Amino acid sequence: MNSYDIIISMGHMCGQTKVKVLNILDGEGLYMAKNSKLTTAILVLIPVAVGINYAGKLFASALKLPLWLDSIGTMLSAVLAGPIVGAISGAINNIIYGLTTDPVSFVYALTSIGIGVSVGFLAKGKMFNNAFRTLLSGLIVALVATVISVPINVVFWGGQTGNVWGDALFAFLQSKNVGIWVSSFFDEIVVDLVDKVLCVFITFGIFKALPKTLVYTFKGEE
Amino acid sequence: MKVLSLYVENDTFIHKLEPITKLLYALISIVITFLFPSIMVGAVFVAFSLLLAISAKVFKRMLLLLNVVLIVLLSMVIIQGLFYRQNVTPAFKLWGLTFYKEGLLYSLLLIVRVVNMIISFGVLILTTRPSDLVDNLVQKGLSPRFGYVLASVLQIIPQMLSTTSTITDAQRSRGLETEGNLFQRFSAFFALLGPLVLNSLVEARERAMAIEIRGFSVEGKRTFVRQIPETKADRWIKISLYVAFIVAVVWRIILWVM
Amino acid sequence: MGDVSTKISIEHLTYKYPFAKNVSLEDITLSIDAGQSIGIIGRNGAGKSTLCYVLSGLIPRFFHGKITGKVTIDGEDVPTMPVEKLIRKVGLVLQNPFSQISGAKMTVYEEVAFGLENLGIEKDEMHERIDTVLRQFDLYKKKDENPFELSGGQLQRLAIASVLVLKPEILILDEPTSQLDPRGTTEVFETISQLKTLGITILIVEHKFEKLVEYVDKIALLHEGKLLGYDTAEHIFSTSEIETYGVGQPIYTALCKRMGLKKANGYYPVSFGETVALLNGLKGSGMDRRTYNG
Repeated sequence: MNSYDIIISMGHMCGQTKVKVLNILDGEGLYMAKNSKLTTAILVLIPVAVGINYAGKLFASALKLPLWLDSIGTMLSAVLAGPIVGAISGAINNIIYGLTTDPVSFVYALTSIGIGVSVGFLAKGKMFNNAFRTLLSGLIVALVATVISVPINVVFWGGQTGNVWGDALFAFLQSKNVGIWVSSFFDEIVVDLVDKVLCVFITFGIFKALPKTLVYTFKGEE
Repeated sequence: MKVLSLYVENDTFIHKLEPITKLLYALISIVITFLFPSIMVGAVFVAFSLLLAISAKVFKRMLLLLNVVLIVLLSMVIIQGLFYRQNVTPAFKLWGLTFYKEGLLYSLLLIVRVVNMIISFGVLILTTRPSDLVDNLVQKGLSPRFGYVLASVLQIIPQMLSTTSTITDAQRSRGLETEGNLFQRFSAFFALLGPLVLNSLVEARERAMAIEIRGFSVEGKRTFVRQIPETKADRWIKISLYVAFIVAVVWRIILWVM
Repeated sequence: MGDVSTKISIEHLTYKYPFAKNVSLEDITLSIDAGQSIGIIGRNGAGKSTLCYVLSGLIPRFFHGKITGKVTIDGEDVPTMPVEKLIRKVGLVLQNPFSQISGAKMTVYEEVAFGLENLGIEKDEMHERIDTVLRQFDLYKKKDENPFELSGGQLQRLAIASVLVLKPEILILDEPTSQLDPRGTTEVFETISQLKTLGITILIVEHKFEKLVEYVDKIALLHEGKLLGYDTAEHIFSTSEIETYGVGQPIYTALCKRMGLKKANGYYPVSFGETVALLNGLKGSGMDRRTYNG
């Protein structure tokens, strides 16, 4: 079986999404990444993580999915190599996005760092061992992302997020004289909640399908 | 697209500046516009950054960059103009909606800051070869390993994305449902991303091996095939930027204390 | 320590990857003289790549796992040799031309410089060495192009050039042509024949036997992690067991075996040239197949 076959058959496995996502939830418990050194393999993993984020965004829009799904790479790198690597991948993701598409993305690097760090720690804390825990982890990540994004939204955009649905809610709350922080919080969380929970599930679906020998390569040295 | 970069090759004065000088300008001008809640300060920096863009012959490209945030900026004017909490003074009426002066001014302040951020960074991005920026940073003390990550990400992403079309075709020929209902499309998302991730991780491992074999982990002094020179102009610009920064901070503190 | 001319010495080498059930290399013993070219053959999973990784130091530095036995180059222990020293001794070229590009450099010229920069080679020497290898591998005209714009064959030559610019004494090539078209394959093999003239010790894993036999002095046959044969190509391919290992054989050998045609020394021919010479000889001497075959 050559690598192309493996890839295609993996695509097939992934085709049955539902089964796969639920399968990650039982089993012998996830491998925990202990990270203390940035090995060469880990450094090479970081650009790939950013590329996966890009690809996620690309596929999501090509399939007309109503979400971003652009933090799967950051999350995967955090699961593979720990919170520090997750944070670096997140930061570089936004730096690169800022350098190439949208300079505003720079400031949201903090949000991406938060996502990487929280997923890294949640993976370490075995917070993905069953469906309930994974869902809980997804909610935690969404909350972390929101809490970090809101002050940025307030400082740079007067509270808006740039997402149509979120901003409509924001405008509505503002017109009802709700405080800017609370309005901005709801603006952000309606968008983040579904997106981040789904990203978390997808990340672990993919992670569980990766061969162990490959996973091992990207583990931080102990 | 082989490199993820907006760099426009040219030979202007701005192009020839050290990348770090341009980076420093972007950072300091952004910090200053945020230190002062003043439309004037913001406008001055926007005008100056624009001047730089024009002299670097990247004005048209700059408009394309600004275009990305145009809609958000417009929605900012509307939402703040209508709903800003300190709104008291009506400015004008449009389709029966009252826009307020306070909100409009506030949105204008936000806009000059964001626009300056985009233009000042835009000058850096549009006039600097990405690998020169990284080399420059490494020569000034950034870890070469970290520099590698920054430099490689710009080429590896387009490389990865170019394989996505291959994967999409392969999956389509296997009857993958890319239209259809939401659940089918989510399944398709998995089927597309899964192989890409596996394939890229396998290649990443090979790349790690290949650079190891070329001394990536050797410690000790490194040399550079492209040495980025620091010109006299660079030195003067940097000094003035530092001075401007210190003056701004001191002034801000004085304003704050008084 | 072995003979002075012994470049690489492997004694009772056994290795198991982390998470693997079985060992990938089992009790391998062989020695390679300086300046020799060695072909490594075997089925998928025979341990060919693993052997390359051990010799280039990626095992145990990059892949951990359990290694026993002794591997030396010029009498020095490979697993414990300082990296900067090992890099100057051994270069490794891998299968996939795309994933070997560092990805951090925007031109062919700078890509070749990558290793030199890491080793801290002075600028003047750097330029001199880069110019030399680029000319040597016919890449000088491409020096300002982006590496990712090259063809597969050109990329693989770039990979070889990027390794050779570090002036290793040994070059290991792990299936360097498996992802190339015929033209790219020819390009790479022409490069290898150039290297032979420079006195570099070469190890090459290759499935294209018809090409391989023309360039190597000896062949090592691996099967399920064990070294089953280490001899000249005609010895290796003339054995009757060769077919049971599923590695295949040069088409010319298969043909001559079928026809019962042996060379004067009792072995089957392995290359095109040998086969032609043999067939011409038959014609000229007027012997028919049966009489020749005895």
